[in-house]
Amino acid sequence: MKYLNEVWSSRELLFNLVSRDVRGKYKRTVFGQLWSLANPLALMLIYSLVFGVFFPSNPRAGDPSGLNVFALWLLCGLLPWTFFSAVVSSGAGSLVDNANLIQKVSFSRIVLPFSTVGAAAYNWMFEIAVLLIAITIAGGFVLPWIPLVIVAMALLALFAAGVALLFSIANVYFRDTQYLLTIVLQFWLYLTPIIYPIERVANKSAEIGGLGGTPVRIVDIYNFNPMVHFVALFRELIYDNRFPDPLEWLICLIWAAAALSFGMLVFRKNERNLAEAL
Amino acid sequence: MSDIAVRVDHVTKSFRMYHERNQSLKSAIMRGRTSVHEDFLALDDVSFDVPAGSTFGLIGSNGSGKSTLLKCLANIYYPNKGAITHFGKIAAMLEVGSGFHAELSGRDNVFLNGSILGMSRKDVTRKFDEIIDFSGVEQFIDQPVKNYSSGMYVRLGFAIAINVDPDILVVDEVLAVGDAEFQEKCFQKFRDFKAAGKTVILVSHSMPTVQAMCDQTAWLDHGVLKAAGPAKSTIKAYLKSLNVEPD
Ligand SMILES: Nc1ncnc2c1ncn2[C@@H]1O[C@H](COP(=O)(O)OP(=O)(O)OP(=O)(O)O)[C@@H](O)[C@H]1O
Ligand SMILES: [Mg+2]
Repeated sequence: MKYLNEVWSSRELLFNLVSRDVRGKYKRTVFGQLWSLANPLALMLIYSLVFGVFFPSNPRAGDPSGLNVFALWLLCGLLPWTFFSAVVSSGAGSLVDNANLIQKVSFSRIVLPFSTVGAAAYNWMFEIAVLLIAITIAGGFVLPWIPLVIVAMALLALFAAGVALLFSIANVYFRDTQYLLTIVLQFWLYLTPIIYPIERVANKSAEIGGLGGTPVRIVDIYNFNPMVHFVALFRELIYDNRFPDPLEWLICLIWAAAALSFGMLVFRKNERNLAEAL
Repeated sequence: MSDIAVRVDHVTKSFRMYHERNQSLKSAIMRGRTSVHEDFLALDDVSFDVPAGSTFGLIGSNGSGKSTLLKCLANIYYPNKGAITHFGKIAAMLEVGSGFHAELSGRDNVFLNGSILGMSRKDVTRKFDEIIDFSGVEQFIDQPVKNYSSGMYVRLGFAIAINVDPDILVVDEVLAVGDAEFQEKCFQKFRDFKAAGKTVILVSHSMPTVQAMCDQTAWLDHGVLKAAGPAKSTIKAYLKSLNVEPD
């Protein structure tokens, strides 16, 4: 409780660090903030070409929205993913990158990984806003769902923050972490139903049935991936325009709470040792 | 108010000395544990008191543990044994301009650095003119700090840090880059501090400076406290150990 208080009292510093990142990032570029849209846009183009045209993954139309545009369907899963992966990979480096600061000034260390969450969230809000506008133009009725989209965004941000805390500490002790992480994130992306619909996994899993004679099916293992549930939330809210299953909300809430509290626990345990270990 | 500002009580700080680069997963797995190490005592059972309202000097050769002690004071390192108690708000200047963002302007960096040092936005706004005035970089305040000379960088960093307004100010040798005028300005600031009843703890390799500024000094040698007390006698003993005749 005392620790939470300490974190809360550093919120102004957190805000300043986020604005340092946000303002420093696109200094001296011609397109500035527009660059933050470039990455998801490029991914959208390439995935739409490959998985919309060459190997169509044929997601079903939005229900009840009736939308049937692959690029939009894709973005509903891709934007949460790129946010998550940006937070985790920049968060993992946040302590090592600020080693000098940690060794010279005493302040609440946790603001460093948290500030990467803030900076990524700032870009993400633009991306989601653009997506919501595109969905509306395409005929979706997403307006009433915006408050719930924001709740889902907050849940994912908390989950990502927890994961980033763990990796930031791990990276201090083992610098291999950041390299390992790029590989892990590759696997993770393809193990999440972002460029293919989850129905494909469900169908295959039903076809195969229980693994090795047990009642455990592929999809049961697959569902252990928390990102499956976060992506489902965003797809259903933004693309389908309907209220996600309360169980789905609950799963996301539990993952977010678990990741964040475990992350903070580990961080707090190691915080005092950081200046020496770096 | 007690008449002791800082009490250093049997402080021992050891570092782990690793025999190889250990921060890779491979070496950890190969050995089955994180590392082979032995402990190195950077501070060995150091005790002294810093009287409130004094200017306190910390002297000793390179690697004797001065910066380590200051970091323990500043809650950056935590002693393995013993305790440091301080009475009043403490601010440490171990390096100036930590956390400056090279691409941002001096103005933005004042606010950023201020908040890293624990000042609220309101505090910084209130003291902004004073900071700029003291630093003497007014003309360049809207330039990115990467275009500053190293002296200007230090001036700005110092001006921010000094305005944190602590009861106890801890300063590692940060003034070396400033020109004579700026150094004099800083020493005047330390005198003002003292006049206001505040405590300054400073590390310096310049014995004339320590002699002029400090009432009390402590001399560290390889982590061991050799002497603590009135500046004059401590400095004399230290110089004698170096075979240098004091002036
Ligand atoms: N993080 C660390 N890990 C391992 N050893 C350290 C660490 N920090 C300091 N040391 C060791 O502790 C000893 C004291 O270092 P310290 O920086 O306190 O010296 P100093 O008195 O400030 O010297 P100088 O006058 O050169 O600034 C040195 O031998 C140094 O190698
Ligand atoms: Mg030093």
